[in-house]
Order: sequence, then structure tokens, then C-alpha cells
Amino acid sequence: MGIMDYFKPVDTWSPDKVRQFLNEVSPQDYNLVDVRTPKEYEQGHLPGAQLIPVAELETRLKELDKTKPTITY
Amino acid sequence: MRSRAAAAVLSREGFKEAYSMEGGIRAWNGLRAAGPPDAGMAYFGPAQKPDEMIALAWILEEGACKFYTEMGKRQKGPDEAALFQELSDDEEKHKSSLFKIYQGRTGKDGDPGFPHSLLSLESGVDYLEGGVVLNKALEWAQGQELRDILDFSVSLEVNAIDLYIKMERKVESGEAKEIFQALSNQERNHLKRLTEAHQTLTS
Repeated sequence: MGIMDYFKPVDTWSPDKVRQFLNEVSPQDYNLVDVRTPKEYEQGHLPGAQLIPVAELETRLKELDKTKPTITY
Repeated sequence: MRSRAAAAVLSREGFKEAYSMEGGIRAWNGLRAAGPPDAGMAYFGPAQKPDEMIALAWILEEGACKFYTEMGKRQKGPDEAALFQELSDDEEKHKSSLFKIYQGRTGKDGDPGFPHSLLSLESGVDYLEGGVVLNKALEWAQGQELRDILDFSVSLEVNAIDLYIKMERKVESGEAKEIFQALSNQERNHLKRLTEAHQTLTS
């Protein structure tokens, strides 16, 4: 076995794919999560993105609906 | 990088569809983001045996330990150098905790095959989270700003927490559960400190 057998790829979307998705789908039907720091968020974020810094994600999972597609950046 | 780690956490917690946007906000703004090597990979496959996971965690701790030591040496600021050195020292201790759990499970005092033979991996190559080869990450880090290195370090810690939470759920012995819990708490503390350092830089 190689080291890679112990890891699974995370699904990724290109920025274009995200752009298209955000244009076509109603905001009630997805979670868009900015996992950076509050300062980075203030300096600019994607329209409608919700700020949950990655260090807080574990404790704030309830704020997200896990049945909806979720995009992180 | 942080976003990959976040998507991995969401998958673990039962989100059916979690996607990380490639290249983050920089790519969204049309800038080319230079990620670390093999940055597409992240989380730990679920179907491993506990002993294999312990061996894997040990290898990743060693990789992180060496990565932080090297980052500590490269920092000009004393605060950053001290931060990386402390992280490195902690990861070194984590290796002992992991070996202790392994010993507890197998009843062996020493095991020359641990950890590489358990995973059929060549020794002599160091790895980081996601299977990134340490030397490639060190090469990548050479041209990066501190902010990007902290960002990468944050993703290492989030994945370490992820691994320890999974392992805590997987092992049966109460003592091993406690050790894994302690390990994930220490990595949470690392995550907090790295996030704070990152936050200070962004101001």
C-alpha cells in the first residue's frame, strides 16, 4: 500500500463552477461558508457568505443545514 | 487550504455534499493561487484498522514536527520562531503518546517495525497530512509569505483533529479514548494559536 491509500480526496469546485451555482440556485438551498478569519472576511467575501472561521467550525455546525450542498472557501 | 480541511470536517460530520472552492478567494478574484504540492488531497479514509491509524498518526506527527522545526528556523520574528518551535515540541510529545497507545494495545515493549511496517511504507520519507511529501512542502514554503505558511499549518492541525476524533470513536479502550481526546484538545490549542497569529498578520 502507498501513503495515498490512507487519504481520500475532498471534493473541490472551481471558482467558475461556484459562480454558476450561486447564479442558478436560490440562497435558501445551499450553505456558503467563509472559513477564514473575521479580518479577511471584512476585507472582502463572496456574496451571501456566512463567516465561520475554521477553528470554530466544530462547535458551530448547528448553524448549517447538513442536508444542503455546502461550499467552503 | 483551510477550506479543504473545513470540507473534510463537514464530510466527517455527515454533510452529504461538501465542496471546497479551489484556490479560495484569490482564485475567485481571478488571481492564481499557488497551493502546496498535491493540495487536492485531504482527509483520512474511514476503513483503516486502529493500529494502522495509530502508525499513520505517528508518521504525520513526525512530519509536522519536522515541518514546524524548519519553519521556526526560517522565521526572522522571535515570536513566530518561538511559536513554531513550541508546536514542533508538542508534536514530538504526541509521538510518544501514540506509541504508548500502540504498546497498550499490542502488549509489546518495543517494536522495530513501528510505524512503517504496519503501513508497508518505505522508511526514510516523511509525510504530512494528505500524503504530501515533507520535502516538497518545505520546497514550496521557501517562496511563501508567513501568512500562507500559517494557512497551511492551520490545515495540518484541522486534519490532525479530524484524525484524532475518528480514532477516539474507533478504539474501544477507555484509556486510549482519553489519550486521543487529549491529543485532539492539544491540536485544537495549536489551531487557536495559529489562527491568532494569522489574524494578527491580516490587520
